[in-house]
Amino acid sequence: MRKSQSITNGVDWVLLGAVILLMALGVATVYSTAFDPEYPSIFDFSQVYGKQIVWISISLFLGILVFLIDSEIYRKFALPIFISSMLLLVIVLFMPAKNGARAWLGIGSLGIQPGEFAKIAAAILLARYLADFNQKLQTIRNVLLANTIILVPMALILLQPDAGTFVVFTSFLFVMYREGVTYDPLVLKAVNLLPGVKFKQTWVGVHFIPILFVVVFLSIATLLVSNETITVDMFPGTTFSGYWGVFVFLFIFSLVFFFVLRLLLSKRDKKRAIIIATIGFILAVSITKTVDFGFQKLAPHQKERIELFLGLTDNERAKDGVDYNRNRAITAVGSGGFSGKGYMNGVLANVRSNHVPESETDFIFCPFAEEWGFIGTSFLISLYLFILLRIVVVAERQRSTFNRVYAYSVAMILFYHFGINIGMSIEFAPVIGIPLPFFSYGGSSMMSFSIMMFILLKLDSQRKDVLN
Amino acid sequence: MKHDSRKYVILTFFILIGAIYVLKLFYMQVVDDHWKLRSQQITEQRREITPPRAIVYDRNGKMVISNNTHYNLMVCEAELEDFDIQAFSELIGWTQEQIRKRFVEIRDGEGTYKNPHTGQIDSNYQRIRSYPFIKELTANEMSKIAPHLDRFKGFYELETSMRSYPFGNAANILGYLNEVNKDDLSKYPFYKAGDYMGRSGIERYYDSYFRGQKGVKYIVQSARNNQIGSFENGAYDTTAVQAPPIHLGLDAELQGYGEQLMANKKGCIVAIEPSTGEILALISAPSYDPNLLVGRRNISENYPGLKSDKNTPLFPRPLASQYMPGSTFKLIQSLVGMQEGVITANTGFACNKNVVGCHNHPSAQNVAQAVQMSCNPYFYAVTRRIIQQKKRKNPREDAAIGLGKWADYMYRFGLGKKLDTDITGLTSGLIPTPKYYDKWYGHHQWKFSTIQSISIGQGEVQLTPLQLANLAAIMANRGWYYTPHFVKSIGDTGPLKKYTKKNYTSIDASHFDAVIEGMRRCVHEEGGTARRARVEGYTVCGKTGTIENYIGSVKQKNHSAFICFAPMKQPEIAISVFVENAGDSGGTWAAPIASLMIEKYLNGEVKDTIKEQRILDAKLSIWK
Repeated sequence: MRKSQSITNGVDWVLLGAVILLMALGVATVYSTAFDPEYPSIFDFSQVYGKQIVWISISLFLGILVFLIDSEIYRKFALPIFISSMLLLVIVLFMPAKNGARAWLGIGSLGIQPGEFAKIAAAILLARYLADFNQKLQTIRNVLLANTIILVPMALILLQPDAGTFVVFTSFLFVMYREGVTYDPLVLKAVNLLPGVKFKQTWVGVHFIPILFVVVFLSIATLLVSNETITVDMFPGTTFSGYWGVFVFLFIFSLVFFFVLRLLLSKRDKKRAIIIATIGFILAVSITKTVDFGFQKLAPHQKERIELFLGLTDNERAKDGVDYNRNRAITAVGSGGFSGKGYMNGVLANVRSNHVPESETDFIFCPFAEEWGFIGTSFLISLYLFILLRIVVVAERQRSTFNRVYAYSVAMILFYHFGINIGMSIEFAPVIGIPLPFFSYGGSSMMSFSIMMFILLKLDSQRKDVLN
Repeated sequence: MKHDSRKYVILTFFILIGAIYVLKLFYMQVVDDHWKLRSQQITEQRREITPPRAIVYDRNGKMVISNNTHYNLMVCEAELEDFDIQAFSELIGWTQEQIRKRFVEIRDGEGTYKNPHTGQIDSNYQRIRSYPFIKELTANEMSKIAPHLDRFKGFYELETSMRSYPFGNAANILGYLNEVNKDDLSKYPFYKAGDYMGRSGIERYYDSYFRGQKGVKYIVQSARNNQIGSFENGAYDTTAVQAPPIHLGLDAELQGYGEQLMANKKGCIVAIEPSTGEILALISAPSYDPNLLVGRRNISENYPGLKSDKNTPLFPRPLASQYMPGSTFKLIQSLVGMQEGVITANTGFACNKNVVGCHNHPSAQNVAQAVQMSCNPYFYAVTRRIIQQKKRKNPREDAAIGLGKWADYMYRFGLGKKLDTDITGLTSGLIPTPKYYDKWYGHHQWKFSTIQSISIGQGEVQLTPLQLANLAAIMANRGWYYTPHFVKSIGDTGPLKKYTKKNYTSIDASHFDAVIEGMRRCVHEEGGTARRARVEGYTVCGKTGTIENYIGSVKQKNHSAFICFAPMKQPEIAISVFVENAGDSGGTWAAPIASLMIEKYLNGEVKDTIKEQRILDAKLSIWK
């Protein structure tokens, strides 16, 4: 079946190039944030920047190994890979805790986080399962079985506990959505319990996952800004509640959405664009307003609990207290300005001043944003967006369901990491410690993301070999 | 494939999140300046460097106020690590309880503010800021603590400058400093909590000239408050600039000598250089050593005692105490009489003791003799003529017009109003006006005989010793004066403008000859009241005053007063001396004190040691 050809044949160089660019930017940022004048060389392996170069080298080496292996084995051994990965997740629970979580497997500073690799295993098994999935047999049982593939690692990760990785596993729901897995049978069952209702299909049930995502995103965003006050230079002296910020955002996006719809929809549907955009706007406003209203009406202690969960208390004292990390991170990003403070010139987000904690790992967006400003951040977001879109393009050109599902898994995992990691530095997500892919310092994440990416590249390069 | 269109849902998510993030970042990084300010708030400490206050020199270039270096023991709570309170209490010699209390005190001392976001009351205290834990340690005290400070992270020493008074005198002129309070902080943005500002004397009057310019250093701080560099290589830093030195007209040695002379006496000496209005010495007795009120510890130790001392050492008598001038006032009456034309230099009046008591002397044939002998009936007669000029038939209405004119003359002598002298705590004295007597007796219900005691400087008339010395200066200048002042020059800018303006009394210079001649005779002729004021080699012109005074209706010992200037030609010094309850006459105590001051000032030393010793030994006044 396989033709004899060089292993680099069919590689998506664009995607690989973008990823390597990201790695380079990451190392540069780690070097800037962790720079120690006594060890000025970026290749000083006693420093995190030197180590990061080692991690990238190892990762690229692993990538080459991946390319030497026939991609067929992932499909074949999906279940054993998954089971051994779950075993590691169990073993790790008996390891000593580090930073309050038993997520590390290894000795001393050398170690791996099985949670990172469980994502790959779950992606492979889900791909295998959905490839064999009979669309016509979408019973509740089958859907729940698909969900089990992600629920098992999620449960084990919750025991560590590692909130970030836990949340990332919900990204697979989108992959299933893309493959047509529907929650409609469940929703129908519930809806049809109502007397006199007899639906065959509900829109909410079919598009359950994206709707859920939108609701959760809007709710969290609303909660995060609901205590803020906004001042506008045009109206000196007046302050607007944070909710108005959400409202304006929603309005702008509804407008943009409307014009995009008009472009995309067929002539026949063009008239519906305004209706869809309006309904979307009204729904979004009602959801966010309800959340905002409900939140404001909560008893102070309940409010406080939610604020604590979100890592948010809008209190002057909290700025230097419970809200310290988030406040410093946001400040570092916000103070970057249009063009930034200049490379290696950050004052808040670096290890020397240490105002922003974890500035070389989970908060690495902060030094980058502080030093490169809006020019840098918009470039970085564009780069991630480019990679994500490129993976979708790659996914959609696969012949096999297995490959496509796997590709979408990679895209969604990256999307989650990207969204949450950057979101927590710009007030859009609660502070959940997950790395920025290919960017943050750390061996496990660098290796696992690389292996994940190289498997995708390998699958893609062999896509024509697959007949299915 | 069946669900292909769903890829658009996913693509929409990607693009939407990306776009939202970019927009949000645009808002945060480009539109909203709030984070830049917050960043500065976190990382840049704006360290203000307060320069030492201006140095003060006397007229001979001797340092009257200098600065000493002291040390504050600073603490930053956020930097404390494994604080061993036991060891620390041994090091600084406090109990552990005192140390805990001090931390609470620092926090409470910062006050609170209402948080506009939450409506809560929050403390201004910040854990990451440094506060003085012990203030104003001497170099000696600090040297015992400093070597051990590396065991106590979060504590460090900081230099501060404090006032020092090498001569230890002139406390009532120089004033003292105290820590600024809340009102000051809102009034004077220059000051920050813990700074010292002038509380009295010229330190207060010229406070803004003493401050200098604060230096500002922007320091980039780490989260642990460690300095990690200067902001933009110090591009925005400024250095502290000390204010230029202030030169006083004061003669520190003369001041010191005067204070010596006034030991064990209550009263004042004021000496003015008539040609410039510069105050050469201004002694308030009893006084205190200004070094007693330097720094918080000294102030808390010594101030209460000084404040409650019944002999009021803090009270600046020459500026604020109002005395009846007694016979010294006769000089003005003669001048006004001549200027008004109601007498001439050669008008004589009989010494008619029926009107008012007098000592035994021949009747004065002219003004000079009247002044020499200080004849009370003579000046009754003069003043009657000034007040009752017969411009109206009704003597009461006539008296009101006369007194009004008289009072105007008094104002032009700088009496009955606050002089524009560069110090705080001045009082105006009292010159009765028609209005004043109307209040007491009713409109047009009084005439000269009602108010006659003002003729000889008793009764309602009250002057401060500074005004009295200024009168001596007017005599010396024959009719004009520069407002008496302390500061000769700020830096090299020369005399202050408001002290280069001559104030004219509207008395013709020619009228002064007779009066000054009388003053000369007072000192140098037999039968003069101030023979003890003679200074070998100089012609001194003086006039004594013996002031009767009562507490309730009980007669107390007389106050002894004397004003003079010397030498007669080209006068260099004009003096007023006032000794409370000295007993006897003005000639007995006040005159010799004045002569010793003149001798000291003109000769630099005093040869008449017998006279000097007599004064030094004298214990006068009523002591509580």
